[in-house]
Amino acid sequence: MKTEQLLDEIRDANLSYLVLAQHLIREDKAEALYRLGISEEVADVLEGLSTGQIVKIAAANLLMCRFRFDDAIVWNLLRSHARERGVAGAHAAILMAQALPQAA
Amino acid sequence: MRLSSVIDDAAEVRRATSLIELGARLQVLESETRMSRERLLKLYKEIQGKSPPKGMLPFSTDWFVTWMPNIHASLFMAIYQTLIKSSALDDVEAIVKAYRLYLEQCRGNELLAELSVTRAWRLVRFVDAGMLKLASCTKCSGRFIVRDHDLTRHYVCGLCHMPSRAGHTKDPAKRLAH
Repeated sequence: MKTEQLLDEIRDANLSYLVLAQHLIREDKAEALYRLGISEEVADVLEGLSTGQIVKIAAANLLMCRFRFDDAIVWNLLRSHARERGVAGAHAAILMAQALPQAA
Repeated sequence: MRLSSVIDDAAEVRRATSLIELGARLQVLESETRMSRERLLKLYKEIQGKSPPKGMLPFSTDWFVTWMPNIHASLFMAIYQTLIKSSALDDVEAIVKAYRLYLEQCRGNELLAELSVTRAWRLVRFVDAGMLKLASCTKCSGRFIVRDHDLTRHYVCGLCHMPSRAGHTKDPAKRLAH
């Protein structure tokens, strides 16, 4: 019963994520690559998915999105309550923009 | 220069329009589009409702290495380079897109956008010319703008090692009022 509910929640999250990703890619691909942190090849696949395909993929028992930043520094900056709140945010933004896979 | 194709001409006008909307100075437009100065002036007035500011552009690399501007410049550059590397954009398209994303980041962090689009354009040109470069911070491994001749082996960025007076400037709104 509990698992069923969790699976439903995963499916909902997947669905919103895939629909949003497709929307971003169709709106402006270059910007979408930055916002989503994915490669152009993956973006091309996502762009071409039909609604039926999206629904099917979303029903998997795995989340299709993941946490982008493995770096603890980034997370510490994002949750900081420092006096210079905006500056910490900018610091995080610099590290995050540079952590995108294709920026390597 | 005369433009042969109406489609090319439209693309040039679009390019100039997006730069003007972001507040670019006339010198940027003259260097990045093939439109005549007269047409650019007309376009500028149509969009901004006033004549473009006169005078020379800031030309020094020093501004980019002072504390607060360095954060903004490094942030813009991080976005710009990500866009250039991930998509087939020419550099003006990338500057315009990166600048819009930079403005979003400033809004999100409640920071004033200290970097104008003209400065952002200068920054890209300075980096192209090798007068400014990026150095990795030995603490956070973020990449920050430094001068060409700066030593970078033990570089620590201004955010990991904040100068004691950092950020203690007067509120710019108040500064303007006086």
